[in-house]
Amino acid sequence: MRFVWSLAAALAATLSAGSAAAHHSFAAQYDANQPVTLKGVVTKVEWTNPHARFYIDVKDADGKVVNWNLEIASPNYLKRAGWSSTSLKQGDEVTVEGSMARSGANMANAATVTFADGTRVFARSAADNR
Amino acid sequence: MRAQLVALAALALTQAVAAQQAPSTSPAGSGGSSNAALIGAVPEGPVPRLQDGTPDFSGVWVGSGPIGDISGGLMPGEELVLLPAAKALKESRMAADDPEALCLPTGVPRIAPYPWRIVQAPAYGKATHLFFLFEGNIHSFRQIFMDGREHPDDLEATWYGHSVGHWEGDTLVIETVGFNDLFWFDFVGHPHTTQLRTVERYTRTKVSELEVVTTVYDPGAYAKPFTVKYTHTLRPGWELMEYICNENNQDVEHIRGPAGL
Repeated sequence: MRFVWSLAAALAATLSAGSAAAHHSFAAQYDANQPVTLKGVVTKVEWTNPHARFYIDVKDADGKVVNWNLEIASPNYLKRAGWSSTSLKQGDEVTVEGSMARSGANMANAATVTFADGTRVFARSAADNR
Repeated sequence: MRAQLVALAALALTQAVAAQQAPSTSPAGSGGSSNAALIGAVPEGPVPRLQDGTPDFSGVWVGSGPIGDISGGLMPGEELVLLPAAKALKESRMAADDPEALCLPTGVPRIAPYPWRIVQAPAYGKATHLFFLFEGNIHSFRQIFMDGREHPDDLEATWYGHSVGHWEGDTLVIETVGFNDLFWFDFVGHPHTTQLRTVERYTRTKVSELEVVTTVYDPGAYAKPFTVKYTHTLRPGWELMEYICNENNQDVEHIRGPAGL
């Protein structure tokens, strides 16, 4: 049930135009106007602060594999929302919807993660979700 | 785990539809959903009291307030008037230099959107100390002296300053001086000087709500004092968790542009 809370909180933050981010301004690092959808295979998971991260290998149009660095909420936030450190594992095939980093790196903030079986979960902290 | 996530995702979708049909009326940064069922049962009834009759503020609270721009918390009729040097400093600040992004403390009255707990010592009877234990932005604490002492004359500037507290009825009043000028009030970079003095008034207005009205005095940066109000929300059943901000802070090198929302 705690996972539901995270979505409701995310929606509350969204609907109330909350501009809060976690430990940094979301907009200073990511561009909400540059949405990105990435499909790939998880190569590494970092259950770390200030943000948990995971990395996926994505094949581009030319078949070249590019490794992407994806930021999600902090472990404490994710744990309370129903995640664990093993929710994402190396080798998982996932589709990620998120916002591109302003720096131009192969980096994004992941709002949702969809697993191969179709399960779609929120990954962004409520405060960052706008 | 996966099965649990599936079930939760399905429930979440239902909630999402409901939420879209009935937009939330909760204020910005209210600490999340107002749906009590989703954050644990919120107790009702009178505010609990300690042995000495003072309100019991213990429990885990989620800090909330205008963390993007402190002016969003101004009380009615209040205004924030920057002196020229402070205005110039604010306008020169870059987002990547925000101490909070660098895993440094928030100072006062900036709020990080992480749970925190108030602990008093001794646990029973008249408190000599209160501790605010912060899960984030950094795993840190504030110490408030409740034993009637005054601020010392030989204070060195620090991130959280020197705090003394007393009760005025059911309101805990905390006066703090001795701040450094390193922390920012918000993401947009509102500054202050070492002349900063804050007076925070904490009132448990409901069992589930801790209201904090803070008056900011800083003649070095602001033309007049101003007062902001933040409201913290109880998280029944929650415990503090670890949050070691410096562990893997890759963000700073990717943050771009001037300080802002």
